[in-house]
Amino acid sequence: MSLLSITDLRGGYAAADEIVKDAALRVEPGEIVALIGPNGAGKSTLLKLIAGLLRPRGGQIQFKGQNIAGLGAPEISRLGLSFVPQERNVFGVMSVAENLEMGGYLDGAHARQRIAELYERFPMLADKRRAAARTLSGGQRQILAMAIALMNAPDLLLLDEPTAGLSPRAAEELFGTILALNKGGVAILMVEQNALEALSVSARAYVLVQGRAEREGRGDELASDPTVRDLFLGGKAQPMLASRGASTELGEHS
Amino acid sequence: MPILQALVNGLVVGTLLAVPAIGFTSMFAVLRFPNFAISGIATLGAFAGYLAYGAGLQMVGSLVVAFAAAAAAGLFFDKTAHLPLVKQGALPAAIASIASGLVLENVIRLGFGNDFRGYDRPIARDMYIGDIRVSPQQLETMAIALAIMLAVFAVLAFTRVGKAMRASADNPELAALKGIRPERVAAMASFIGMGLVGVGGMLLGLDSSIDPLTGARILLSIFAAAVLGGLGSAPGAVLGAFMIGMAEELSVLAVGSPYRTAVGFFAILIMLTLRPRGLLGERAF
Ligand SMILES: Nc1ncnc2c1ncn2[C@@H]1O[C@H](COP(=O)(O)OP(=O)(O)OP(=O)(O)O)[C@@H](O)[C@H]1O
Ligand SMILES: [Mg+2]
Repeated sequence: MSLLSITDLRGGYAAADEIVKDAALRVEPGEIVALIGPNGAGKSTLLKLIAGLLRPRGGQIQFKGQNIAGLGAPEISRLGLSFVPQERNVFGVMSVAENLEMGGYLDGAHARQRIAELYERFPMLADKRRAAARTLSGGQRQILAMAIALMNAPDLLLLDEPTAGLSPRAAEELFGTILALNKGGVAILMVEQNALEALSVSARAYVLVQGRAEREGRGDELASDPTVRDLFLGGKAQPMLASRGASTELGEHS
Repeated sequence: MPILQALVNGLVVGTLLAVPAIGFTSMFAVLRFPNFAISGIATLGAFAGYLAYGAGLQMVGSLVVAFAAAAAAGLFFDKTAHLPLVKQGALPAAIASIASGLVLENVIRLGFGNDFRGYDRPIARDMYIGDIRVSPQQLETMAIALAIMLAVFAVLAFTRVGKAMRASADNPELAALKGIRPERVAAMASFIGMGLVGVGGMLLGLDSSIDPLTGARILLSIFAAAVLGGLGSAPGAVLGAFMIGMAEELSVLAVGSPYRTAVGFFAILIMLTLRPRGLLGERAF
């Protein structure tokens, strides 16, 4: 049984309710799956629908065999799913230590031990434990955001652009961390602009275009697929194509 | 020495004002609209405490009654009238809360009439420090107000409920993702916030007298204190309350007591022009 399996998912915002259209994807236990696509394709929206921040207008979301479409974010996180949003993913006014405590809100009994483990894994967090989260650097903030998500020992981690704004070196380190987490048994569904990197660490990947999963494949397959390469990973002549042109073109191809 | 005396009076008023100001600003931080029903709720707290005290309860017991009555009524109005409107914006909810305040005020008027009533506290001789006069009763209410403030800050800083409220005020979506239920936090904010407003109404009533307009008279001062400190910031509300208290007492010296209420207006006007986020902004807590 898949850990997460989505079919015909539709949804969006009050003002624009058809951002995600009939999306389908699945994540197996312990798998890393990448979700790539042009800006505005609806990647973040899709993750928000899964995590319960937005209410789906149709379709199913099965998590651990249970339909979670329509449940609220607090209920879904209780089931073992943690989402690290692209933006505003820490409590800025609270200290690093308090941020971790809030991460463990649902499982207070294990909070102390998990915080100690996270301090060991990320010594930077231990050094900064009393600092307000808003005073962290971009890279430090991403680490904290991930650590908050790990506080309730999730089975599935949704990451929305975890390396956004990081130096190549810091991004590399973060990918290492993500792989290490995955080795520990956490399945990961990850949106990434660093598509090549993401594809290289992922078992499988989906290409989302205009709210639909247009392509699916093994990470290395998609990474060498000429169309995908050309459109999202930067061709030889053009490092980056305009996303709008890219999306229609890929739509025609498939 | 009238200036020194005015400053001391301002300190007393500021301390008492800080209690409802913390309540108001905390509600704003979580619920995202200015809840002007505090006028009616403060009056309700003052009358509930008055009845309890008259029935023979001690000061602390009467304060608990004031808190409970105000908290329950505040929660009721938020759930039924204000929160359903917040989705459409802060303004509809704020306007509805003005109406709720008026309803409460008039229900109280219906029950008790327009008379001024004083708490029947034991009479004690004023104390003098040099030329400065303070009454032992003022000292008692001040001490109570300070104790309440310390308790509120301890709750916000150290308890699970308090931290959840701060987290939710700071980042509601992330709080929900961490399992903190928004409806629960909202209910908690209404309950504690309005409870503090009720206690504040009683404390300010203890210092003078109460009538159906008790809350309406302090509404502007409370709002100004919160705006001055930065809407949503509890430490800011305390700072703002002291500044408003002092400014009001000094204004009595400078231009006479009829203009006292203008102080709040001016404070809001100046603050919104020069530094709309308030002195401490929303960051402090
Ligand atoms: N809060 C919102 N309200 C209304 N529309 C929104 C909102 N957030 C995003 N959208 C719209 O939804 C569409 C998809 O946005 P989304 O953030 O999901 O894209 P994305 O694939 O994550 O892009 P990026 O790679 O830039 O992060 C966009 O057209 C955007 O304008
Ligand atoms: Mg996005």
